[in-house]
Amino acid sequence: MRKRKVGIPRALLYYYYFPFWLKLFSELNLEPVISDSTSRDLLNKGVKKSLSEICVPIKVMIGHVLNLDQKDVDYIFMPRFRSLKKDVVLCPKFLGLPDMIRHSLPGLKTEVITDQIDSKSDDIAQFSNHQKLAETFSIPKREMKSALKKATDFWQRYRDLLFKGYLIDDFAGIEELEILEKVITKFENDPKPPQSRDQNLEAPVNEEVVDIAVIGYVYNIFDQYINMDIINKLKEMGVRVHTFSMVAEDIIEKELSNLRKPMFWEFTNKLYGAAEHYLKNDRIDGVIHLTAFGCGPDSMLGQILEVDAKDYNKTFMTLRIDEQTGESHIITRIEAFIDLMRLKKVNN
Amino acid sequence: MRLSFPYMGPTIVYAKLFELLGHDVVMPPKPDKEIIDLGVKYSPEFACFPFKVITGIYLKLMDKNLDALVTSGGHGPCRAGYYGEVHKKILQDLGHEVEIIVIDSPHDDYKYFYEVIKRLKGDSSWLQVGRVIKIVYELTKALDEIEKKIEILRAYNDQGTINKLWMQAQEEFYQIKNTAEIKEIKNKYLNKLIKFEDSIPVEAERYKIGIIGEIYVVMEESINNQIEEKVNRFGFEVECSQYLTDWIRENAFPFLGKDLEKIEKKGEEFIEIGIGGHAQGNIGHAINFKEEGFDGIIHLKPFGCLPELVSQSVMDDLSEKYEIPVLTISIDEQTADANVLTRVEAFLDMIREKNYREVM
Repeated sequence: MRKRKVGIPRALLYYYYFPFWLKLFSELNLEPVISDSTSRDLLNKGVKKSLSEICVPIKVMIGHVLNLDQKDVDYIFMPRFRSLKKDVVLCPKFLGLPDMIRHSLPGLKTEVITDQIDSKSDDIAQFSNHQKLAETFSIPKREMKSALKKATDFWQRYRDLLFKGYLIDDFAGIEELEILEKVITKFENDPKPPQSRDQNLEAPVNEEVVDIAVIGYVYNIFDQYINMDIINKLKEMGVRVHTFSMVAEDIIEKELSNLRKPMFWEFTNKLYGAAEHYLKNDRIDGVIHLTAFGCGPDSMLGQILEVDAKDYNKTFMTLRIDEQTGESHIITRIEAFIDLMRLKKVNN
Repeated sequence: MRLSFPYMGPTIVYAKLFELLGHDVVMPPKPDKEIIDLGVKYSPEFACFPFKVITGIYLKLMDKNLDALVTSGGHGPCRAGYYGEVHKKILQDLGHEVEIIVIDSPHDDYKYFYEVIKRLKGDSSWLQVGRVIKIVYELTKALDEIEKKIEILRAYNDQGTINKLWMQAQEEFYQIKNTAEIKEIKNKYLNKLIKFEDSIPVEAERYKIGIIGEIYVVMEESINNQIEEKVNRFGFEVECSQYLTDWIRENAFPFLGKDLEKIEKKGEEFIEIGIGGHAQGNIGHAINFKEEGFDGIIHLKPFGCLPELVSQSVMDDLSEKYEIPVLTISIDEQTADANVLTRVEAFLDMIREKNYREVM
């Protein structure tokens, strides 16, 4: 029998969980098909089919779903992420995403598999989170559980590398499990540290190396099209880029415990914890809050960070991306930002 | 304590609550152009509109020597539950020293809730608190009952006359001291309204519009461009999905029946799980309005509202399936009165036309 094809949209939490899904589908003897990288054409299609007022990441997601629909896949796999921690949920748009897809894309040919993810931690490998998937392909519970176990172990190796300072960008382009496995093994045994931890890094034309924390959701900072490849641009300019995925969970928890009331949104809380950690850290020269047009949780987070950055006397900038951000505007702003930090360093 | 609170809907209810508990209440200003501009200036660009309005109200209150601002919290994931925390930051950053007391659900943090309630209750005994809550609930009920009448009668009578009665009623209610007076005033105004009821046409000729959406823009007429009056002006009756009575009943006295919950459950057909705010409930109300024979739905939401964007996304499908016209209006600081009026007028014309054709 031919392997059945399951489409995974390359959007939203794909960047966080793709090694888990690649491994899971391979164990279940299914063929994962990943949507194309975001492009002008793909985004335009998404924009056309979504409400004008909704945030860019959702428009991107709809573009990817439409892209998969044309790829001749048997199913589209799109879980409903509800919670990754007790009493904390994700943004309302994540919670309602499958409903939006079902009711606003009536022309969709492919069936969507929607499992609800309710987890106590970032590890989503519980069987209850994958019941619909198991039903759809008549996978026995025991088999599913063993596949989930292998997938989560594999994902954990990826997470550990992220904590060690690797960027999601270092892996995100990979679609084949074999290649991903090789890359992960290579990094695990690599004596050379990743760029974010490299103390011997040299900037072009003998400029000062600076450390910048880029605070933003995985789907904003690692979708190279939507953010005009900002991460690589920074790296080329001799910047050690730090992101929230490098900050250990207990540090984030500690920062969050300083709030009387943490926010309601899982990843916004993660960003808050990481940002506070970076704002206090003397080795970090500046913080960029990279946010997308129409992001609701970020409007709250941004305000808090702006005030806190002032208190900690840290250079801070908000970069907002949308479906029509011009590339030159991003370059101008990050260049000016880096120059400012270098000047500050020289003056000190 | 000398305190104030955000302006929303029937403000006299909150004022009465704190006043009867023995606090010195400063009435918040009604949102106008100046307050909105002030709020927009000091709020994050992408914060939702109610947030900006409330920022403006708070800033306007800053020279009133307040001890505290009292507001409601929540456990999300709608942003409104976090307003208080961010407003604290903004006011602090601008150098204002005023406490913001956020009333959160006791489920979230029981100790904090208890502290807050103890402070708000002041020197009153628990028995008195119970009495005050009873008065406030009766007051809300009376206000909502009259308002529902107004929203029907205004469609068939001179708007000025009816609005004047409504204003007078609110002013008189502000003076009440006990439940007997509430009853008295309520009956007085219901009697005054009776003579207008002759103007209501036979059932077949009545047009009804249901208003659903985010609670702040639905309840606060100074923010929603007096949408109810606008609809009334064209001879359409209006009913909202949310009145304060329902909210208090469901939250403070859950044992008094769960009619609202039943309606809101209907929303599961389109939005499977609770996603915060009133998104799922609003979908339920839309279906309920159709079942009750309403002719159209106006869906109000602040620009960029997270839960309501999800409900807007499923609205086309709902409109088609249940054959009910829906008009969604996003409200923010740039909403122009003429724009809203034109859209409402076109929408209502369309409903009349549709009905006319169906009858022919």
